[in-house]
Amino acid sequence: MLTFAPQSEEEMIALGARLVTGGLLPPAGLVLLIGDLGAGKTTLAKGIAEARGAASRDEVSSPTFTLIHEYGEPARLYHIDLYRLDEAHQVESLGLDELLARPGALALIEWGERFPELWPAARAEVRIAPDDAGGGRVVSVVTAPSGEARQPA
Amino acid sequence: MSRILGLESSCDETAAAVVEDARVIRSSVVASQLDVHARYGGVVPELASREHLRAIVPVVREAMLRAGVEWRDLDAVAVTQGPGLLGSLLVGITYAKAIAAARGAPMIAVNHIEGHIHAVLMEARGKGGEVPLPALALVASGGHTHLFHVSDDAMRYRLLGRTRDDAAGEAFDKVAKLLGFGYPGGPVIDALAPHGDPRAIRFTAAKMKGNDLDFSFSGLKTAVLRWSQERDLAAEIGARRELLARNARPSVDEWLTVTPPATRNLLASFQHTVIAELLRRIRDAAEQHPEVRAVVVSGGVACNAGLRASAASLRLGIPVHFPRPALSADNAAMIAAAAFPKLARAEFAGFDLHPQANLVLAS
Repeated sequence: MLTFAPQSEEEMIALGARLVTGGLLPPAGLVLLIGDLGAGKTTLAKGIAEARGAASRDEVSSPTFTLIHEYGEPARLYHIDLYRLDEAHQVESLGLDELLARPGALALIEWGERFPELWPAARAEVRIAPDDAGGGRVVSVVTAPSGEARQPA
Repeated sequence: MSRILGLESSCDETAAAVVEDARVIRSSVVASQLDVHARYGGVVPELASREHLRAIVPVVREAMLRAGVEWRDLDAVAVTQGPGLLGSLLVGITYAKAIAAARGAPMIAVNHIEGHIHAVLMEARGKGGEVPLPALALVASGGHTHLFHVSDDAMRYRLLGRTRDDAAGEAFDKVAKLLGFGYPGGPVIDALAPHGDPRAIRFTAAKMKGNDLDFSFSGLKTAVLRWSQERDLAAEIGARRELLARNARPSVDEWLTVTPPATRNLLASFQHTVIAELLRRIRDAAEQHPEVRAVVVSGGVACNAGLRASAASLRLGIPVHFPRPALSADNAAMIAAAAFPKLARAEFAGFDLHPQANLVLAS
């Protein structure tokens, strides 16, 4: 597990980019972004999207209401937010399997940790928590053992 | 006279409507408002394409029935192409194709956000007026917060600003949820805000690097979260959740019994800040674009009474138009309305029309 300590929004975006360029995130597959309201999940996604060449940072906004934002043509990044959903069957009806089966696409999922039974073992997790001082964040990255994209079912 | 059937299925709502001459709404049916769906109270998102699939036939049938028209009376079928959820969009588009194939009516593809803008233009026409163009258009809802420049033929748009994080409506929903006010958050905060002091808590305005017409509401949401964490609100939040469990739609007086003055002040200050952020962009954009002759505000947040009142006292020197609540939220009449200029120019979609989840109106 690797940990980082971004101290500002700028540093959070830069960290997202470094997770991509440094190969800490898989090139395709599933990443759970885990953190409380206002932790900086969407901010991190901005850096990830920009480094993948899928969208500029200002284009990446919260997918809470719309559930799925896709970036790039063809889509290279799915930014998914399950905040509004309470039940696993609602999540299943989104057709995420289909998205994950698309070659070369990375899916970032916010609030996905509430549905652990839905996700494959081969996934990465990024946890964001406030640091002790309260101003910055502690970001820890766990890449699943295989680190490979999920194989289509 | 021309008649268009509009279909909308981009996110939570399945909707159909018949509109005449971009002016008269002959019918406008939204699935969540039909009796069959009333038991969900609109809370469970109809995100599954399966839900849209179940709703679309009765919703279209109801729209045609209420309008008193036959298929042969339609000049075109308009359908939302995006932005939205692919599976949901696909239901409306496939249905439109079926109508087009069976009845020979041409298909017109409409951008959902363009629909929100045309809802306001249509309503003004229905009242015997026109929104003077060019105009500024703010579309603010749970999923979108965009500021556009609308050309004088209402066919071309320039994006002036957009949210970089949360949508305005999303900020209302998240603040309401974290304080135990349930979902959706806009109506309850709007109703309680007049009972608090809007200047009690000074939230810092979002500072935008780069385009100063962009929006940001994430910092405000986090500030409210921090405010609530610094206090022991467990008892009052618990009381509100209990109230909601007993009564899905509490009255303002009932809410007030479980909302102490400090929390009323928070709600008032929060709403005041969101409104100030929205209006600041409108005012600045109007100054930067002296040629605009009107402002149009649409999307679910346009229902907010505080926003309407503040906009009226903005003294921009140009009129600010809001649609009535039924046309502010997602509906299909706005999709039909936006299709009329395309009908006039014969901009029809072919059978290769496909949904576009990230369709943009302007860049």
